[in-house]
Amino acid sequence: MKRMMPWSCGGLALAGLAVLAAMPAEAAGKKVCYAFQDLSTGFWGAGHAAIVDTLKKNGVEVVELNGGKDANRQLEQVKDCIAQGADGIILTADDGDSETMLVALAQEADVPIATFNRPPSDLSKGIIVVADNESVARQAVEAMIVQAEAKFKKTGKKLHPLILVGDLADPNAVKRREGFMNALKSHADLFETPVEINTKWNSQVALAGLEAAVTADPNIDFIFTSSDFLFPTIQGVLEPRGKWKKSGDDNHVILGGLDGDDGACKLIREGYVDSTGVQDVYLEAKLALDSIQDAIAKGEARPNGVKLDPGFALSQANYAEKGPTTWGCMVLDAKK
Amino acid sequence: MGGDSRSPAHERLFEAAAIARDSRGSIVNFFRRILLSEYFILYLTIFYFLSMAAIFPDLATPRNISNQLSNVWPLLAVATGQTLVIIILGIDLSQGAIMGFASVAGGFVMATAADPNLLGGSPLWGTVLTEGGGWLAGRSGSVLIGVGLMLVVGGLVGLINGYFIARFRMPAFMVTLVSLMLFSSAGIWLTQSQNIVNLPPEFTQLGSGDLVSFYFGEKVEATIKRRDILSFLTYPMVIALALAVAVEIMLRFSVLGRYIYAIGMNAKTAAISGVPVRRVIMVVFVLSGLCAAVASILYSARLGGGRPTIGAGAALLDIIGATVIGGTSLSGGRGKIVWTLIGVVFFVLLGNTLNYMGLSAFYIDVVKGGIILAAAALDVARNQLLAGQAA
Repeated sequence: MKRMMPWSCGGLALAGLAVLAAMPAEAAGKKVCYAFQDLSTGFWGAGHAAIVDTLKKNGVEVVELNGGKDANRQLEQVKDCIAQGADGIILTADDGDSETMLVALAQEADVPIATFNRPPSDLSKGIIVVADNESVARQAVEAMIVQAEAKFKKTGKKLHPLILVGDLADPNAVKRREGFMNALKSHADLFETPVEINTKWNSQVALAGLEAAVTADPNIDFIFTSSDFLFPTIQGVLEPRGKWKKSGDDNHVILGGLDGDDGACKLIREGYVDSTGVQDVYLEAKLALDSIQDAIAKGEARPNGVKLDPGFALSQANYAEKGPTTWGCMVLDAKK
Repeated sequence: MGGDSRSPAHERLFEAAAIARDSRGSIVNFFRRILLSEYFILYLTIFYFLSMAAIFPDLATPRNISNQLSNVWPLLAVATGQTLVIIILGIDLSQGAIMGFASVAGGFVMATAADPNLLGGSPLWGTVLTEGGGWLAGRSGSVLIGVGLMLVVGGLVGLINGYFIARFRMPAFMVTLVSLMLFSSAGIWLTQSQNIVNLPPEFTQLGSGDLVSFYFGEKVEATIKRRDILSFLTYPMVIALALAVAVEIMLRFSVLGRYIYAIGMNAKTAAISGVPVRRVIMVVFVLSGLCAAVASILYSARLGGGRPTIGAGAALLDIIGATVIGGTSLSGGRGKIVWTLIGVVFFVLLGNTLNYMGLSAFYIDVVKGGIILAAAALDVARNQLLAGQAA
């Protein structure tokens, strides 16, 4: 998996703070725990930087808890946090079941909790900040389909689609798959039956699955990854086969993803990737932070509600308009 | 100046110097005794706790201590089994996989409902697991049978490990590594990487239920908030301590215990002396599997699901780390369950204090590794001193 570099964290922090600078500071002097499952992708790194730096800037004591993708470790960390008298918790667990359990644990102890980006299986408890994954994925795939239609007109041959599915225990992965399938369903005349590769959000698993699929069907020419962090993996498979080509080249494989991270933004600028569904990490961080700070200020112990990030698709066609508001492009520019 | 011509003032000076020398000597002796004590890690843990509590007073609150104790018990259960294996100069890398596989097995028996969208791809869907739950969903005795099955699974995997190690003299590292791969993959395959949730409350109670709890302070409201009720005597505590005490008694007072130490010190000599080495090795690995299964019960119950990934990742490092930090020797022949308990407490305390330090997530594991290294280095220095003393 792609790992965050220290310099990129600085860029993320700067970009995040610029967006969140106008946050209210009702929770100054309080203690908030941010329990996350890892920082292995650009999206999680950007979210971490935005949340931690903004809380610190607002005078909130932040306790950072890295669960390391271990459900028991994260449970112990959240229990520690409650025992330490935290005033609020922002949570990203590894799967929906863990989210549900940890939200219930916090609410039982009367500590307000908000989940960031990864929703619990039970949407009725806690503040749930999540992207509309089905819609964002569908929009990104529809932008790819514009390219697919042009190719179909040119060749007269149906395209061979493939999706890199995430971990199906993660509701985000389920919804992204749904968005992909729904978009393809409305253009069934253009596509063969899609190939599904289960990645478990692991680049090694994705690499093995993609290698096998592309070897079995060398005509695969339409790939959607459920998370942008897998683009380097896709490049690693396509490049040796002479298929890592820019849009417009006959050997170009139509590519799309979801996250809107700096890597995807760069590849769209360069012409290798056609679109990505953008979840607005800064908006989601702001929604989670506002919710927790509001709950603390109002003394609400068990706030509930779903806060949706509508998201959008960034493509080569709308890059000039949407690029400047895409978090990954902001991070990319901050690195310069 | 002659010896007899010392003035009273000189005498007092000599006396004071002698007292200072004696007290310096007794301080050095005191620290030497602590350093050489078999409970050195206990003293280190107490010192670390007191130092940290001076900086972070909340660390010593009853709420925090109660919470930390709840984190000790499952790790103690599994580390107890690892201690036995390390004493016979082995290692059991499969404990994490046993925990995951046993957890899944229990889920397949006890779950009261299952989501076909998530678990419909399981090879056992439609036979063992359906939308209505697991094999014995809702029937009386399902929890008892589920728990029993988890223990049987742990014991069986341990038996397989022990058989191959004892019968074919294969290295424990290799055999248990294969078991780790085999059974962790099997758990993931059977569940298609999903969790089996909806376990009955009688089972989840085993992971966090209180037998005795207490509340500090005045009762000014009609009801006391759950967060203010502190657990004292819990099911996991009773289960893990009962297991640990039973194994400690077996090690100290039974023939099997003496055989285990003898094999760890020198297996060939033990065999010549009439110790049934193969049988004892198999028994130790069965016990290790059973301990992992007990831990699986506690973890599955507290997490509310049969999870194939329980015990994956860094869990094995915590198990082996706590055992070795406690004082059980990787060279075999030396170890006690009470030492392992101290090692587990040290590990849990370390994690807790790091949370208090407000460190960035990027540095926490670096600091944790550094502290463990320092503790291990002190332990090595202590062992060298002990060896020097013996020579």
